[in-house]
Amino acid sequence: MHNAAGRDIPETIGSRAVRPFAGASATPNRGSKAARPQKWVYERDSKLLASIEEAIEATELSDGMTISFHHCFRDGDRVVNQVLDACARRGIKDLRLYPTALFPVHKPVIDHIESGVVSRIEGSMNGPVGAFVSQGGKLAEPAVLRSHGGRWRAVEAGDVAIDVAFVAAPQADAYGNATGMRGKTPCGSISFSAVDAQYARKTVVITNDLAPYPVHPMEIQQGWTDYVVEVDEIGDPESIVSGTLQLTKSPTRLRIARLTADAVVASPYFVDGFSFQGGAGGISLAVTKYLGDAMERAGIVGSFGMGGGTKLLVELLHRGLIRTILDGQAFDLDAIESLREDAGHVLIDPGLYANVDSCGCATHKLDAAFLGATEVDLDFNVNVNTHSDGQLLHGIGGHQEVAAGASMTMITVPTLRGRIPVIVDCVTTVTTPGEVIDVIVTERGLAVNPRRDDLKERLTAAGLPVRPLEEIKAEAERLVQPIARPVFGDEIIAAIEWRDGTIIDVVRKVEGWT
Amino acid sequence: METRCGAEAKGDCLVVVDNDGGPKTDLAARSKQLLERGLRAVIDETLSKLDASDISIAVTDSGALDYVLVARIEAAVRGVLPEKPPISPPVQRKGTERDRPRRSRLYAPGNNPRLLAGIEIHGADCVLLDLEDSVPAEEKPAARILVKHLLAAVPFAEETWVRINPLDCGGLEDVAEVLRGRPHGICLPKADSAADVAKLAEELARLEDEFGLGVGSTWIMPIIETARGVLHADEVAAADPRVAIVAFGAEDYTRDLGALRTSESLLFARGRIVAAAAAAGVQSSDTVYADLADMEGLAEEAQRARALGFDGKGAINPRQIDPIHHAFTPSEQEMEQARAIVAAAREAELQGLGAVALNGKMIDKPVLERARRVMRHAEKLTKGGDRDA
Repeated sequence: MHNAAGRDIPETIGSRAVRPFAGASATPNRGSKAARPQKWVYERDSKLLASIEEAIEATELSDGMTISFHHCFRDGDRVVNQVLDACARRGIKDLRLYPTALFPVHKPVIDHIESGVVSRIEGSMNGPVGAFVSQGGKLAEPAVLRSHGGRWRAVEAGDVAIDVAFVAAPQADAYGNATGMRGKTPCGSISFSAVDAQYARKTVVITNDLAPYPVHPMEIQQGWTDYVVEVDEIGDPESIVSGTLQLTKSPTRLRIARLTADAVVASPYFVDGFSFQGGAGGISLAVTKYLGDAMERAGIVGSFGMGGGTKLLVELLHRGLIRTILDGQAFDLDAIESLREDAGHVLIDPGLYANVDSCGCATHKLDAAFLGATEVDLDFNVNVNTHSDGQLLHGIGGHQEVAAGASMTMITVPTLRGRIPVIVDCVTTVTTPGEVIDVIVTERGLAVNPRRDDLKERLTAAGLPVRPLEEIKAEAERLVQPIARPVFGDEIIAAIEWRDGTIIDVVRKVEGWT
Repeated sequence: METRCGAEAKGDCLVVVDNDGGPKTDLAARSKQLLERGLRAVIDETLSKLDASDISIAVTDSGALDYVLVARIEAAVRGVLPEKPPISPPVQRKGTERDRPRRSRLYAPGNNPRLLAGIEIHGADCVLLDLEDSVPAEEKPAARILVKHLLAAVPFAEETWVRINPLDCGGLEDVAEVLRGRPHGICLPKADSAADVAKLAEELARLEDEFGLGVGSTWIMPIIETARGVLHADEVAAADPRVAIVAFGAEDYTRDLGALRTSESLLFARGRIVAAAAAAGVQSSDTVYADLADMEGLAEEAQRARALGFDGKGAINPRQIDPIHHAFTPSEQEMEQARAIVAAAREAELQGLGAVALNGKMIDKPVLERARRVMRHAEKLTKGGDRDA
């Protein structure tokens, strides 16, 4: 069948009946949320266990169960591999992995798939694990990719029942309060795991910095935590956060950033109380800087900037150009320090940030957002998951909810990456549908979604180079011979969920080349 | 014999050819499944154009655009087979007027595909592809060929110029190659005398005729950057009708003088060049501002250059274009004034009056001309450039 994004998807994927994507805001979910397990601990002093293996035994983790992790240590994580190694040593098989995201550091997961310890993955796969899964035939069920809000929603809805949540914590006390803001390897908030910790049958906090009670801020609370394990190492500080993220020096990317900022300034949203989402990518950082300068010149004070917190966003707060930062995850040490020190720097969990099945999430209050993509197409559909060769290499992050929420969603992309065009006739995978995308910004000009003639008029009147997307595409294609396209077979590698749990697209196995 | 050209660097490709052992094509690339067919098509077509299909060639691609690949192949093949005639790529280019806005001239090194990629998108009034100071001697032959193919392949909205080497140090070879890419103009460095300009003009006429371009269609921008050149600025500016603009190069000039680079030490040269250009009825463009980190210093220097009478200024990085354009774009107040003057002149003409007056003040002819020119340029600026077909 074809869903509302025009994608051909099956009625069932693995053992799951498919609810097809029906439109960005067409599928309100009714009914109640899943029940959280009743937990009760009478020991007053300590939930400490001596090792991860003891925790596996205590939680009665066994074959076929679901275990979850957060990705807040990014490519510096040491916890996922330690837990899986321990599971392997205990002979556990057929685990379903429910991470928020996997990174290149998690390459050993491949060995655990080969040996049968892991048989299913529901979570973002950045890099080698995604490439491995893309080969097909590796997992018992197709992988499932969800956005930050969609993952939170899936737990609350009971779509995914977690058996054991493992929560890596830069600092924790022996009674199970934990934070990512302090300790030897701070990573910013660890509230990505808050929903896991509340809904999982058992929750294990793993820390390398056991501190006196009570540890705070309590992103993970004692009332959710069954066990605490102290280990030598949970992450590599070098790869967890950057010292300071570097602004791009690439003239092409700076040009895209300049056009993006100019478009925001020309939009009707650039007034007092204006809000925006900035990211940690090179273009996003530059846009954030340009916007801050423009706000200062115009005498505008923003209501909030949404993070990924970065030094640049913190600077806007300190300069009084935004009143608040709503921060879901910190990308550099400056952001972490500001989270600890600045009253206006507010920590939000992914549910508040992005969950569509709530009485309103924060992304719905956004005016402007600038997001990246691997591909965009002439219907303004956006792909962030796969490359043009069909390889599944990236997660969704907050892309869907930010795009759906913001009044003016801009996709910032170069027209070419090396010899590979970024604007295509039809994206390899639809992550975010064109109906929620307003502007595509490239170094060769801006294309406005035909649904937004009002914006088009504003941007054109401001002298911005507004051009048909087809024209920008053709200009880039003049510089390179056409690329080959993958031919897909029937086997489904992964399902891409829209934020409401419907299926917006599937990733199929590449069988050949045109 | 084997020659190699290009590099395994982002946006480039390494091409190794051997005139023994062919015909053979080896190809290495990231995302090879996606790119192989396109890369092979370019390789085959280029070898066939060079009549060198029997050669052995190995290409390692690192994301080179087609024109980069073509240029690297041509340079490598002509390295082993110097008798092969140069490729003349098809070019579609509109000519430009002699007097048009040239607020910025953006330099880009002609040997570096990564820095050349997207050079056309920054809105510079003149893009200046450099074969001189930024290109090491051993890379000059390959750089000329790269610049030629870039000129032919890239859709430029504004003017394209090539800075060649001095005529006695490879400049003639530069012109012979790059004119096949039909740049709008040639920048002549270290222009010391009218004779230098005349020699270039003569060579351009010969090549334009040979390549079937309109004779006289290529502009010249002499760059004055020696003490001698400054003293001869008047004859340089007036040397040939091809001269559309005269540029100042302060780095070499201060070295020639043994002076420190200060606004005082440059004032004489700047004043002389502006006056020489005005006397010859051509434009003048100020030297580049070398401190990329100091945007305020750049803005200030650009304002001062405009006040001295320059029409534009050089930029070493796209980031410098905005402040330069800001300085050299007529302000709303100047536009207002120009509109009023032109309107008064029209009114006077309608009434058959010889003299033009505005608010009780007589308007001199040069002031009227200046106002008309401001209007003409402003119209071009708001309309944007004429994109090449």
